Amino acid sequence: MAEYQIRHCERQLEGGIHPETYKDLSTSAPCVFIDDPKRLVFPIHFSGGGPGEPLVSIGDTVSQGTPIIKCQSGIIHVASRAGTVIDITDHAITHPSDDVSASIIIEPNGSKDQSYLHPLSWPFDADTLRDRAIEAGILGLGGAGFPSFKKWSDGTQTLIINAAECEPYLTADDTLMRIDTHSMIRGACMLSQTLDIKTIVIGIEDNKPEALAAIEAALQESRSDCFFDIVLLDTKYPSGSARQLVWLTLGIEVPTGSRSVESGVIVHNPGTLAALSRAIDGKPITDRIVTLTGEALTTQKNVIAPIGTPIRHLIEATKTNPASLTSITVGGPMMGYQVTDFEAGITKTTNCLLAREVEIAPESPCIRCGACATACPVRLQPQQMVSALKGGLLDRAIHEGLTDCIECAACNAVCPSHIPLAEWFRLGRFEAREKANEQRLAAEARERFEARNKRLERIAQEQEAKRVARKAKTADALNKARKAREESA
Amino acid sequence: MIKRPDYPPIDTAIVMRTVLMALIPGIIAMTLFFGVGVLLNIITAILTALASEALCLGLRKRPINPRLTDLSAVLTGVLIALALPQAAPWWLVIAATASSVILGKHLYGGLGQNPVNPAMLGYALMLISAPVAMTTLWINPLTTPDIATAWNAYLGQASDAVSGATTLDLYKTEFRSLTAIEAARNPLFSQAHLGLIYGYEWVALAYLMGGLWLIYQRVITWHTPVGLLATLVVISAFFSFDPDTATPVWVHLIAGAGIFAAFFILTDPVSGATSPKGRLWFAIGVGILTYLIRTYGQYPDAIAFAVLLMNFAAPMIDHYTRPRIMGREASVKGPGGQS
Repeated sequence: MAEYQIRHCERQLEGGIHPETYKDLSTSAPCVFIDDPKRLVFPIHFSGGGPGEPLVSIGDTVSQGTPIIKCQSGIIHVASRAGTVIDITDHAITHPSDDVSASIIIEPNGSKDQSYLHPLSWPFDADTLRDRAIEAGILGLGGAGFPSFKKWSDGTQTLIINAAECEPYLTADDTLMRIDTHSMIRGACMLSQTLDIKTIVIGIEDNKPEALAAIEAALQESRSDCFFDIVLLDTKYPSGSARQLVWLTLGIEVPTGSRSVESGVIVHNPGTLAALSRAIDGKPITDRIVTLTGEALTTQKNVIAPIGTPIRHLIEATKTNPASLTSITVGGPMMGYQVTDFEAGITKTTNCLLAREVEIAPESPCIRCGACATACPVRLQPQQMVSALKGGLLDRAIHEGLTDCIECAACNAVCPSHIPLAEWFRLGRFEAREKANEQRLAAEARERFEARNKRLERIAQEQEAKRVARKAKTADALNKARKAREESA
Repeated sequence: MIKRPDYPPIDTAIVMRTVLMALIPGIIAMTLFFGVGVLLNIITAILTALASEALCLGLRKRPINPRLTDLSAVLTGVLIALALPQAAPWWLVIAATASSVILGKHLYGGLGQNPVNPAMLGYALMLISAPVAMTTLWINPLTTPDIATAWNAYLGQASDAVSGATTLDLYKTEFRSLTAIEAARNPLFSQAHLGLIYGYEWVALAYLMGGLWLIYQRVITWHTPVGLLATLVVISAFFSFDPDTATPVWVHLIAGAGIFAAFFILTDPVSGATSPKGRLWFAIGVGILTYLIRTYGQYPDAIAFAVLLMNFAAPMIDHYTRPRIMGREASVKGPGGQS
């Protein structure tokens, strides 16, 4: 039995909101596998892990687990089912842009062909584990899709399992913790032992008693040396935001501009750790749990679906006519985005498809009531930031703390004027990043230019020196020849 | 027991309606002690505010309906009506309200854009342009007028028997030669039910109840009322070491617009400071200015000028009272990026 304790979090999330959670909607039905779809879609640049390049060509036959995309970060995405690559073309993708992008289209052939990696045998070192995570395409499955191996630095003291799942409607993590508890615990233990981490914190909201019981049972069976510190959090959005969770569970404020890794903390989603456990056994990520929920669906449930499954197929799996929906929210109601083309395939970060009718109240002017500031978990003044952004004053918004915004949209939920604050901040943060990028590129270009000038100058000087030397040599030789001629004459 | 809400109402119209509801006890108390003139003023002001709002929106070619139904204009009207002398003639109410809405609000772009408190702007404009009406038409609560008298006052024929200067004014003029004990013999004080000031004490209590309810509903925070009232109490208590020359603490607190302003005027979010700490400083500033103007100025009450002056300081207060952002060493100070 692994050692563990269960404690109530002694800290209170500052700000935050208590939205209706609607979690029962999708947890009352059991989690099921869905039938394989007729085609699978893998965006080459937007599968997570950065822009990629295809490793297969049209007409290739692939097995389940055959590498098909290699990303800039090294991450490899595999075919989630055996089949044939029927096309590589621009296709609708599951992405906030709701746009098309180059994608690999695979038609599953129903065969059980598998091409997995060899199982790793314990003990292995951190580099081996990193390589395995790259080959198995392990990404943050909570939604951000950050390549997991990049978080695994050696000076880490604590691993936090982010089991808060604070967004309304979402129950994919809850479901995973109920049915795949052992994989999650095993993944966490393997990672911790490899990185020499002593404490594993599980931050879980107190509205998931079933998952908690499953974790307890799994820990009692586990033979791990790790100490598990299970922290029960009050159900409050956004306690599952990484920074907020680190503070709630450990009391560490991750400094602005740095990642939690730099404070000695790794935060992983339960699904990521379960996937890591399977990757150690040789199985790359081919499937994930997706919550299909929302009042506009006929039935709501969690399903295990192959990566690349078109949204349409999943909507149909809930006995809902896709034509009855104009768009679907990918992710939760707070941080999710809309996708209108249901041919787009789910990616590794698609944790939820939410269909509901939302009445959008007309926006009225900001009266600076400060309700948003009270709800902000980062203690920003959203009312000031939005007025700067609306006035086109990006610098002023950054001064007010725009870059510290975690885009949780708690401000949206409490605004009496129904201002889409979070959308303004997402846009503003994008512009701020672009601007910073531009400044960086400009600085680099200037450096390159200056270096080039110096180099040219040096070359010119060298050439001049050579020329002078050559001239002197020629003059010397000429003089010598003249002298010889004079002497012979 | 009803659970306290987690946040203020999530709709501007409901916020405004909540504030209007919180004013009801105060309005009832005012009507009981100062006569139906209070109600006449309120009705006139609401109608004027709605008409001015519609006129401005029409001229500015903006949609009229959403702004009329969000009750913001109604609230401005009610606030200015409650701030005006109870025996004010109809034209004074109309002029004050129209200037509040037109000059105070729409000149700057309407709801959410006003740099100063619209009601106080209207009030201050009237005080400067119609000083006699604004200083001599205050009802003495001991002589609550009947309906006919109130109606005559509304038509512009106020009776000297029921109206005069404010209690604060009395202290500055008539009570100057009296000792504290002599002043306390004045029926305004000697006949008071609660031992403070006849009538005013009930009005103040009613506004206090409404204000506390607003805090409970999270429409306002404690910072503003505590800032103003604590400042007034501390300063006036400090200067009342000689009770014969000073205006007593409770007169500062309840005879003027103190309680009403603390909960309903200074709390205008648009023109005030926006962070909790900023709101506290804003209110403290209003408190200090109010005491100074009441004591050394020529006006019967000082809240309006104090609020207007602090309104101009609000943006600067905001720059220096930001909370420390999570993950930062210190809070960000100063106005920042100018691009």
